[in-house]
Amino acid sequence: MPFKLTPQPFKAAIKEVEVGSGEKAIKLGGEKTFPFYTFDAPMPNAPKIGVEISDLGFEGESAGIKDFYGDVTNIVEMAKKAAAMEGADFVVLRLEGADPNGANKSVDECAELAKAVADAIDVPLAVMGCKNDEKDSEVFVKVSEVLSGRNIMVLSAKEADYKTVGASAGLAYGQKVGAESAVDINLAKQLNVLMTQLGVKPENMIMNVGSAAAGYGYEYVASTLDRVKAAALAQNDNMLQMPIVTPISTETSTVKEAVASEEDMPEWGSQETRAIDMEVVTAAACLASGSNAVILRHPESVATVSKLIKELM
Amino acid sequence: MGRFIIIGERIHCISPVIREAMNTMNPEPILKRAKEQLDAGATYIDVNIGPAEGNGPELMSWVVKLLQENFNNVPLALDTANKAAIEAGIAVYNRENGKPIVNSADAGDRLSYLDLAAANDAICIALCSKGAVPGSLDEIMGFCQELLEHGMMLGMDPTDMWFDPLFLVAKGMQDKQQQILDAIKGFSDMGLNSTGGLSNVSNGMPKELRPIMDSAMLAMSMANGLTSAIVNPCDRRLIETMKSCDILKDNYMYADSYLDL
Repeated sequence: MPFKLTPQPFKAAIKEVEVGSGEKAIKLGGEKTFPFYTFDAPMPNAPKIGVEISDLGFEGESAGIKDFYGDVTNIVEMAKKAAAMEGADFVVLRLEGADPNGANKSVDECAELAKAVADAIDVPLAVMGCKNDEKDSEVFVKVSEVLSGRNIMVLSAKEADYKTVGASAGLAYGQKVGAESAVDINLAKQLNVLMTQLGVKPENMIMNVGSAAAGYGYEYVASTLDRVKAAALAQNDNMLQMPIVTPISTETSTVKEAVASEEDMPEWGSQETRAIDMEVVTAAACLASGSNAVILRHPESVATVSKLIKELM
Repeated sequence: MGRFIIIGERIHCISPVIREAMNTMNPEPILKRAKEQLDAGATYIDVNIGPAEGNGPELMSWVVKLLQENFNNVPLALDTANKAAIEAGIAVYNRENGKPIVNSADAGDRLSYLDLAAANDAICIALCSKGAVPGSLDEIMGFCQELLEHGMMLGMDPTDMWFDPLFLVAKGMQDKQQQILDAIKGFSDMGLNSTGGLSNVSNGMPKELRPIMDSAMLAMSMANGLTSAIVNPCDRRLIETMKSCDILKDNYMYADSYLDL
């Protein structure tokens, strides 16, 4: 008997969320199938790639990254280059300089920079914080305000600060808010419920359900992503149907495979190649488990993952 | 398996308020009860218009339109002995949120309600009885087989027949309860859906005991594979039990706020 392919799309769908505006606005989600199951139904929107830049510049980054940004002297110029990178769909400005234990930049200074970057680029903008919850929530409120109505992605609201961040970014200023949890599907769902109860509309929310570099607890990330998508599609769980955005480079850039020098670890080969490989394999694995967007740093990783997505669509 | 399905039973012509509203075609009391049930967690609303021998078709199509227009095409169970009324209800029914349910066929005099459901692409509740209380598990499963074969001969999808084991009052028929649970297990093992008037179990008990007994029966029934029940969704203990069992059966992802969802 000849094989007859029976497409099996789900009745439920991942919500479609638009970020940015104009010609280069991006749409995340919208699919009724598991990731890349294009034999069941087409994925209406290919997964997207965000290019991460830091407000502290690129000092200390690898040669490939330094070469790419070349002689730019300020963050706005850097953002323009990132936006033009081959395979880039959006730019992610990481405001690590806000850290009170670091450069401790003022909230206004951060907001000013975010505004200047948003004005300079034609692709959508996402902002990340400095991992100090208190400072991040102040920064996110101000950034959301100065970019009111620009439909940026704010990454992210957590259990500790979802009220402040959700109410400002998601309610008052019309941005898209990420709900961030650390590889815990029940908390991921709970945070979405709480944000919804606060009044943030599901179509204005995305999720970061956590990430880890391959080899550093990635199995838990994979199982969380898989279970989120299974609940969203097979059980039509509307509290888990938000698209997933996964930061990769912030996880992979600190593991020893990426930071050990070639002098210390000659048998591991080129440090830069290792850093790229860590980004690429972790991103590929997340995409295969359902991330609707990944955030990367190295131009070569961006080009490689972009090619992978194109080939799989 | 999907989440457990509650069919809200409170729009019933036995209630004086509802009977009066149906007699005078007064929307308010019907809408109020429907809203209470949906807010409390009902998926389907049962519309019981009684025998409605006079104006059945007119009354059923009026209620169907009334409820669907006011509650985003809420799916409905059409509950009457009057076949013309069921057909009239289905004729105006919007399927956006689920097929209509014909309530109900049995293996005896009401077998032809399956024909009615099949002809109208509806779900049909299939009561495993021929009018009397089934004597044994084998008898229930025999009726189930008869109903299943009849429906499948008519081209129905087996999952569109929701088998009813006939819930019986515990007070007086304690010895029958295990047989009901075994029947539910039997349906479940065959991959079939099931439902029934679960609160029969607590009939005649003091009011304060009924939610406790109904909740216990619901939990035991769900453990055996019951997929739906026709109950009063405004019974908070019962709904909390249902939601908790859905978590334990992995029908729905846990979150701390699961009782609010």
